[in-house]
Amino acid sequence: MAKRGFNGAIMSAFGLRDHEAEVIEVERLAPKFIRVRMTSPTVFTDAELGPTAWLRFWFPDPADPDFEHQRGYTITEADPDAGTFAVDFVLHEPAGPASAWAESVSAGDRVEVASMGSTVFTVPDELPAGYLLIGDSASIPAINSILEAVPAEVPVEVYLEEHEATDRLIPLADHPRAAVRWVPRRGESSLAADIESRDWSDWRVWTAPESGSLKAIRARLKDDFGFPKSEITARAYWYEGRAFGKMRGEKKDDTPAEAAEQTPAAPKGSWRANAGGRLIAPLKATLWIAGILQAIVTLVELAPYVLLVELSRQLLTGAGSATLWATGIWAVVLMGSGVVLSAALLFWLHLVDARFERDLRRRLLTTMARLPLGWFVDRGSGRIKQLVQDDTLALHYLVTHAVSDAVQAVVAPVAVLVYLFIVDWRIALALLVPVLVYVVTMYIMLIQSGTKPKQALTWAEQMNVEAGSYLAGQPVIRVFGGAAASRFRSRLDEYVRFLTDWQRPFTTFKTVMDLVNRPATYLLIIAALGTWLTVSGSIDPIDLLPFLFLGTTFGARLLGIGYGLSGLSTGLLAARRIQNTLDEEELEVVHPHEKDTPASAREASPAPGLVEFDDVGFAYRVGVPVIDGVSLRLEPGTVTALVGPSGSGKSTLAALLARFHDVTEGAVRIGGRDLRTLPGDELYTRVGFVFQDIQLVHGTVAENIALAVPEASEDAIIAAARQAQIHDRILRLPDGYDTVIGAEAALSGGERQRLAIARAILADTPVLVLDEATAFADPESEHLVQQALGRLAVGRTVLVIAHRLHTITDVDRIVVLDHGRVAESGTHTDLIAADGRYRKLWDARETTPAPTSATAPRTQGAAR
Amino acid sequence: MIRTFFAILPAERHRGMYLHLTLTLISVILRALGTVALVPLIGALFGPNPADAWPWLGLLAAATAAGWAIDAVISRIGMDLGFALLDSTQHAVTDRLSRIRLSWFTPANTATARQAIAATGPDLVGIVVYLLTPLLSGVLLPIAIAIALIPISGPLALAALIGVPILLAAFVGGARIGRRADRVAAETNSALTERVVEFARTQQALRASRRTETERSLVGTALSRQHGAAIRVLLLQIPGQVLFGLASQLALLVLAGTTAYLTVTGTVSVPEAIALIVVIIRYLEPFTSLAGLSAAIESTTGVLRNIRTVLDAPTVGAGSIVGAVTPTETSPARDRSQTQGSAASAPGITLAEVAFRYAPDSPEVVAGLDLEFAPGTTTAIVGPSGSGKSTILSLIAGLQEPSTGRVLVDGVDLADLDVTARHALAGVVFQHPYLFDGSLRDNVLTGHPDATEQRIDEVARLARLDELLDRIPGGWDAEVGEGGTALSGGERQRVSIARALLKPAPILLVDEATSALDTENEAAIVAALTADPTPRTRIVIAHRLGSIRTADRVIFLDDGRVVEDGTVDELLTAGGRFARFWHDQDAAAGWTLGRTSQTLGRTRQ
Repeated sequence: MAKRGFNGAIMSAFGLRDHEAEVIEVERLAPKFIRVRMTSPTVFTDAELGPTAWLRFWFPDPADPDFEHQRGYTITEADPDAGTFAVDFVLHEPAGPASAWAESVSAGDRVEVASMGSTVFTVPDELPAGYLLIGDSASIPAINSILEAVPAEVPVEVYLEEHEATDRLIPLADHPRAAVRWVPRRGESSLAADIESRDWSDWRVWTAPESGSLKAIRARLKDDFGFPKSEITARAYWYEGRAFGKMRGEKKDDTPAEAAEQTPAAPKGSWRANAGGRLIAPLKATLWIAGILQAIVTLVELAPYVLLVELSRQLLTGAGSATLWATGIWAVVLMGSGVVLSAALLFWLHLVDARFERDLRRRLLTTMARLPLGWFVDRGSGRIKQLVQDDTLALHYLVTHAVSDAVQAVVAPVAVLVYLFIVDWRIALALLVPVLVYVVTMYIMLIQSGTKPKQALTWAEQMNVEAGSYLAGQPVIRVFGGAAASRFRSRLDEYVRFLTDWQRPFTTFKTVMDLVNRPATYLLIIAALGTWLTVSGSIDPIDLLPFLFLGTTFGARLLGIGYGLSGLSTGLLAARRIQNTLDEEELEVVHPHEKDTPASAREASPAPGLVEFDDVGFAYRVGVPVIDGVSLRLEPGTVTALVGPSGSGKSTLAALLARFHDVTEGAVRIGGRDLRTLPGDELYTRVGFVFQDIQLVHGTVAENIALAVPEASEDAIIAAARQAQIHDRILRLPDGYDTVIGAEAALSGGERQRLAIARAILADTPVLVLDEATAFADPESEHLVQQALGRLAVGRTVLVIAHRLHTITDVDRIVVLDHGRVAESGTHTDLIAADGRYRKLWDARETTPAPTSATAPRTQGAAR
Repeated sequence: MIRTFFAILPAERHRGMYLHLTLTLISVILRALGTVALVPLIGALFGPNPADAWPWLGLLAAATAAGWAIDAVISRIGMDLGFALLDSTQHAVTDRLSRIRLSWFTPANTATARQAIAATGPDLVGIVVYLLTPLLSGVLLPIAIAIALIPISGPLALAALIGVPILLAAFVGGARIGRRADRVAAETNSALTERVVEFARTQQALRASRRTETERSLVGTALSRQHGAAIRVLLLQIPGQVLFGLASQLALLVLAGTTAYLTVTGTVSVPEAIALIVVIIRYLEPFTSLAGLSAAIESTTGVLRNIRTVLDAPTVGAGSIVGAVTPTETSPARDRSQTQGSAASAPGITLAEVAFRYAPDSPEVVAGLDLEFAPGTTTAIVGPSGSGKSTILSLIAGLQEPSTGRVLVDGVDLADLDVTARHALAGVVFQHPYLFDGSLRDNVLTGHPDATEQRIDEVARLARLDELLDRIPGGWDAEVGEGGTALSGGERQRVSIARALLKPAPILLVDEATSALDTENEAAIVAALTADPTPRTRIVIAHRLGSIRTADRVIFLDDGRVVEDGTVDELLTAGGRFARFWHDQDAAAGWTLGRTSQTLGRTRQ
């Protein structure tokens, strides 16, 4: 076996497994860039796949073939089932071990490969404003994998350092919104200096250049642009000028960059990632004071042990009872003040927190009432619940406990450590041995676990889903039996086997960790060293006492630091989410004169039911329009249907009229007034909507109908209910109109819809947005809902999202949307005659069965 | 907790558990021995001749090393027990779940059950090693030390012994107060949260109704109320959090004070006193580690409680008859597939005086139901939502058991059949068809894993699956996704129709989807009811005229009672509820939005 130096020794000590890989094929992708395809049936049992994932290879030293070097290379192709993969090599002069190997490699050659410490690039749920990728030819394989992973709508800026002219010939992955810039290397700081000075707010960075360049880049990112640490993924992929010329090995370099001189030109951005700090900023002083007080409390709590040493000393010197009494009183005082102080601290923090939390929730509510309605649609009640419930609770823990826990976890071991080292550094040093053994064992376990902890998380999630489906599928399983149930059982067996295979081998490690760190072990060390030192006369036995009192739990305290600190990060993450919500853009009400006066406004008082879409554009993300240049005029009292395939923008366009979002271009006007100039309360006297998602509030039926007109008379409510075809049903409820809507008065889908329609009838807005799907959600009462919708539409300007074409053949106008643009518009007859897109949709529609009925012939002929 | 633990521990592991307990006891005694060995050891170090300490150190080293050895064995046994527990529990829970009455699966119970299978693994593995062992030694060690102190200093030993229950009480009491405070806090919190979530959930309605202002103040009141409650909770929380700390500090004070007093009065020597103080600290140490375990105790208790809940849930009653439903047929129900084709194999179904309620205290969904379904007929059940239609289907499918009365198939009470035979009787098309993650073929074959290719093709055609199979990449091998989510609602429905048709069962039950819009599905259902040559007794809960038309007989159900019963024509002629439903459906199919509004609009203008 070849010599692998210190690095190799460490690797094998950690039980890292080597896999043999055989070269299948070598392909030259560019003059100095080759792809080597290999096969290794076993490597994927260890390796984690994903963007930027890499493997460690052992390459022979070109000068001394007995010696091997380890180098990391990004996986550029992988087929885990077949056990094949590829990595790309940059060839350079003079060649390092990897480069030399790659240059001469041919099919059939073998190389050893291992997987450890590889990290996978993931796109977070909350997309960043963009990705800034910085690297060079060596990191192009990784950058390519990132470009493939980043969603098309996210902009990407790629900066590549050019070391040789041929670098530019290396193929780059396509991304619709990526801009690539090559920067010739003029020195370590040239790449950093060429990064555009701009506002990089909410961007994320992934960078893997040469080590020297990285330093300059870090400084530029952090100091000039203000990137928070959490938004930067950085590592040096190679070092210029190290042994063998250019060696492109995966060397992690996580040392923070030196603070560089600030270039005032660069505008500093702001990041959502930093928002958490802003949220708790008002509490900063409080938390500092709490931290200091907690430090004092912690020290006071340790004091009794020091007093015990003192007591022993007094006993040894034969002190009188007066002195002993004094010590005792001191002890009582210290203990008492410790308890009182910690209780007071706790009480105070809870008090502060209760007020903070109340204000915070109030702010959240105020903000929510002003957010675009689309925000709620996009999120769903689960996310909102997490925000108001889980996140405020996490924040509660942060304020009331996390800070004090962290301080306590740090102060106690540090104080003990200092105290013990002062008393006798030799024994104190010896006490660190078990801690060291513990940490090393833990680290070995961590290394050997490899991707297992991540897999375990995936397993847990998956089992949760599987269990959910096993439960949801119970009726099916019972009726159809066998196969369905055994699937879950075998999954469960696999999970149990996974847990067993993973944890079993660690039994010994865990036992070692437990034994080495228990008080008995420390006691033995102290007693043994103490006896030896005392017998040899090099210690006063009284100095053993601090160790006997505090030294035995020393390990547990020291190892508790990490645990104590973990609460902080959870809380800060919650704070970040809350602050980001508070930062969401609210709907603003603009003064009328700020908007161009529309043509209609110049007419003598336009009808309140006139709706104009004036060159409207809308995009959720900049550059990806959902609605694009739509102009429509809905005459008062007419019905307009929006038609188009899903994704054509029909629901979005309708939602714009109800101001679920604000247009990004153009304007929507009702009765000549821009929606944005109408305060919320005024807006919704003009436009109402009935969508599929029916929202009933906790209250009586009457209250729900009269939600918009709380002062409505009973007669008006009943009239609306009658029109909505729900009156009879309401009378059959236990308390009629006074029935509280809830579990005991469960209404069917169609009934809830008719209730919402009654509400809209009573609200009596001149403009109405409807979703035709409302009608067919519940076949039992489809006819009644249709009747109700028909009544509701009477005399109003209606914009309807249509799903079934045959229901809208009689509307005044059909607008066909395609990719956010108006493709066609006209009446059904016109559009059929035009033989365009609508005709295609009409012909392709799934025909409803012709209602044939002997007793109730369909009323023929439209009233037009 | 202990009861549940032993209940889920496989019987053959009980011996291992007792061995584990015995060894833990020995380990504790060894540790106590090591601790009291400190007395002569430290005494020697502080005495005139420190070298006397060596033999005692030897004893301490021997006790510690023996302790290590035993503890290594203990943790190995503990791990073994943990893994055994994991394996047996997961399977016990899964088995139980498949036998629990369906009516037990309320949202809350379902969530518990889900927790019990999905989220307990790691907890169970560690339950012995990380919880039980430290908990036991934490309680036993102080007692052992106190006992070992008796020969050295009687009064101190007594004080230490008295201290054990007091400290444990403080520990348990503190935890209990803390729990109560948490519960109160959670209650007040959830009341507020509900309000806030409602505020967010109904934002559209509130805003359209211009009610965000009023509602805000309503939520505001809830906020203030919660604020007041939070302060009250605090007065509970703090004592809980300081109680144990206070008790252990007091114990230290009292014990150290006693030692000092004994020294001053000359009962013990000074070196001995110092050694005793060291022992006192050793005595208090386990209590502190107990406090560190409280979070683990809390979560493990929760885990065990969830498991217990599932294991205690009521199961489906089962009879002993393994097959043979039709009196004329003696072969087991499973063998029916072979006898398919004989018209005699379609059974008659009888509901006799059937009533059903979900829980003993909830109202009856159906009551006093007497129904006959003649062999080989097709019956449509029609009625408003909540009228009990689906309940009837579940009762016949054997998924629910009547609270009173009997469901008979060819004269045999379903309750007398064993579970497998009961479920072999019916193929069911559920309203919300649930598919399992796997291929289309796997899902269809669930109904009859060894069906012939010819039969599979036939049901695919009947269920209008052929169109999907042509279109979907992979055809039969296409994955349906978790819960069937890779398919549209209509496609899922058709797969589930094929699945039900393939199952060689003499009864076919169809709960037509309410919201399926596509005509393919309607055609598939009609085909399933009419075109399949398999002799069956068929019952369909119908919402669409298409499927109703195929029925020999229609039952109109309202409020759990049969309101009308007859053929389509009879009921239409009678002009009752069904006739009205029929006309409404008919009108709905021809409805257009523009026409109604315009005609009415014009008349009004």
